[in-house]
Amino acid sequence: MNQHSSLFQLGRERLALIGKHSEVLMQGYLNGHIDESALSEAALNKLIDARILWRPDEQAPLSLRPVMGELIASLTRDERKRQINADVAEHLDQIHTRVQSLQAARAKGDYAAAEHHMQLLTERVHDMSGQFGDAIESLWHRLNTEFGFVSSLDDKIREIELAQKQLRRLLDGFGLIDFDQLIALAGSDGSLRKLLVSQLQARISEHSGSLLEVQKRLVLLMARFRQQQERALLVSRMSAFLRQHPNFQIGDYPNRSKVPAVVNQAKEIRAAAAIALDRDSDSSTLAQLARAIPRPEQDVTPTENAEPFAAPEQQLAERVQKKLVEDVENFFIAVIDEGNPVSALDYMNRNDLEWDPEIWLFQVIAEYEGMASDEKRSFRMEKVTRLASRFNQVRIIEDVHLGLRFFGEFQATG
Amino acid sequence: MIEHGPLLERMLEGEFICAVTDEHSFNKLQNENLREDLNHFLRPLNRRIAKSEDGSVFFLAYHELTEPARHQLSQQFGVTIQSLLPMLEWMQLVQEALGRDGALTAGDTIKLQEFSLKVEDNQSLRQRLAMLSADKVFKSTSDQLDMQIKQVFKRIRELGYLHQPHRDRQFYIVTGKIEHLIELVRFIKDEENLPLDEDSPEQGDMF
Repeated sequence: MNQHSSLFQLGRERLALIGKHSEVLMQGYLNGHIDESALSEAALNKLIDARILWRPDEQAPLSLRPVMGELIASLTRDERKRQINADVAEHLDQIHTRVQSLQAARAKGDYAAAEHHMQLLTERVHDMSGQFGDAIESLWHRLNTEFGFVSSLDDKIREIELAQKQLRRLLDGFGLIDFDQLIALAGSDGSLRKLLVSQLQARISEHSGSLLEVQKRLVLLMARFRQQQERALLVSRMSAFLRQHPNFQIGDYPNRSKVPAVVNQAKEIRAAAAIALDRDSDSSTLAQLARAIPRPEQDVTPTENAEPFAAPEQQLAERVQKKLVEDVENFFIAVIDEGNPVSALDYMNRNDLEWDPEIWLFQVIAEYEGMASDEKRSFRMEKVTRLASRFNQVRIIEDVHLGLRFFGEFQATG
Repeated sequence: MIEHGPLLERMLEGEFICAVTDEHSFNKLQNENLREDLNHFLRPLNRRIAKSEDGSVFFLAYHELTEPARHQLSQQFGVTIQSLLPMLEWMQLVQEALGRDGALTAGDTIKLQEFSLKVEDNQSLRQRLAMLSADKVFKSTSDQLDMQIKQVFKRIRELGYLHQPHRDRQFYIVTGKIEHLIELVRFIKDEENLPLDEDSPEQGDMF
C-alpha cells in the first residue's frame, strides 16, 4: 500500500508539472525543441528529472521525450505527428505471460496476487483493443479531413499511400490474434473467457468492419486525387502545347462521318410567341397586357421596330460591315483633306472608332486594292511591317500610312 | 409534360443543366424514363438530351446530323476552339492564384476579392491576367486590374462556365460545363495524338 501511495504522489506531482509548464512544452512540441531561455535552471532540471524533457545527444537542444510528443499528438488529434502503432505480437506475448502468472497464483491460492494479475491482464487487453481503436480513429479523422493537414495534392497522395500501408499492418495484426489459442488459454475459467474471447472478438469484428470501410474510402479518395492531378496536368500541358503551336489545326470533327458526342451541341432555340386574337377567352388578358405597355414618347421608325423579331445574324453582320466600309471611306476622304500621309491606326484612334485594329487595317487595304487603277494611282500606301519572329520570315502588317501622290511623287512620311 | 415546360425551354435556349446551376432539374434529368419522354417531345426539333461522359452536365444535342446541323456545329466548334487557350489559361491562373493544385472542378467556389488580392500581390500573375483580359475572347481595354478581372469573369459567366448565385455578391461557382470542356480537351489530345503525356512540354518554355 505504501508503494502505491508514493507512486500516486509522484504521478500527481509530475502531471501537475506538465500543467504548470504547458505553454513552454506546447511551444516545444510545435518547434521541435525547447526554448531553454524561457525556463529557469531549476525548472529545466525538474522537467528533465521528471522524464518529460531530454537531450537526445550532447549537441542537440532539449526536446520533449517521444512519449510526451505522442501524448500531445493523440490528445490534439494532430495527424501530422500521430503515430499508428498496434504491435499486436508484443501484446499477445504479454497476455500469455500474464495468464500464466495468474494461473500460477491461483494454483498457489494467493488471491491477492491473482487479483493483481487479473487487473493487469484486463488493462492489457483493453490497451490492445484501445490501440486498434485509436489507430482506426486516426485513419478516419484523416479521411474525413481529406488529409487537409498537408496542402499539396502530391503530399495527399503520399499520405494516402502511407495510410494504406498502416491499414495493411493493422489487418496483419488482426490476423495474429488466434482465437482458438486464446480459448485454449482461458480454459474453463469464465471470467478469462469473457475477457479474452467474447469481448475481444466483438471488438475485433467491429474494428474490421470499420477498417473495411476505411479501405473503401481510401481507394475512392485516391482515385479522386489522382483524377484531379491528371486534370491539372492535362490543362497545363494542353495550354503549353497550344501556346507553342499557335498554328496547330484541330481536326474538323463536326464534318466527320461520325461526329464525336463531345462536339454535338445543338444551337439554341428561343421560344417565341405573338399575340393572337383567335381565342376569345384570352382577349381580356391580352387587352390588359396591351394597356400595360408603356407608350413610346416619340414615334420610332417602323422598320427598326420590327427588327428585333426578324433580325437574323446576317442582317446584323451586314450592318456592321456597311459601317466599317463607311468609316474607311471617311478615312480616305480625310487623307485627301489632310494632304499629308496619315497613319490608319492613328486616324482610327483619333476618331474613337471601335474596330479591331486588324479588321480596320484589313478593310483599309482592301479598299485601296479594290479601287479602279486610275483612282488608285492618286493614292500611295506604305505598309509598316515587322517580322513575326527571328525564325519566322512572315511579315506582320502593324499599320499602314496612306498619302496622296502628287504628280507621281510621294511625300515622305514623318 | 407541362411541368417540365420551363426546363425544356431553358435547355432549348442552350443552357447546360448541372448540379450547380439547378440541382433540382439536374436530379430530375437523372431519370432515364423522363429523358425518353422529353426526347420524344424534342424529336421534331431535331434535338435530344445529351450528357457529358461523366454525367455531370446535361444539354441538348442534335438528334440527326443534317447538313444545317453540321454547319452549325462547325461554326460553334470554331468558337469553342478559339476560346480554348484563353479558357485553359484562365483555369491555370485561378488555380495558381488561389494556391490549389487540382484543376478547377464543378462546385469549386471562387471569391473575386480573394483572387484579386492574390493577383495584385504577384507581378507575374498580374501580367498574365493583363494579357489574358486583352484576348479577343474577353476584350478588356482597361489597364486596371479590377476591371480586367470583372470583365474576364463576366465573360466566362456568359459562356456558362461560372454560376453567380447572388447578383450583387462577387463570388462564383464553377459549373458542370467545365467538365464538358475538359472532356473536349482530353478528346482532342487523344484524337490528335498530342504528345502531352511526356514531360517534354516544359522544354518549350526555354525558348
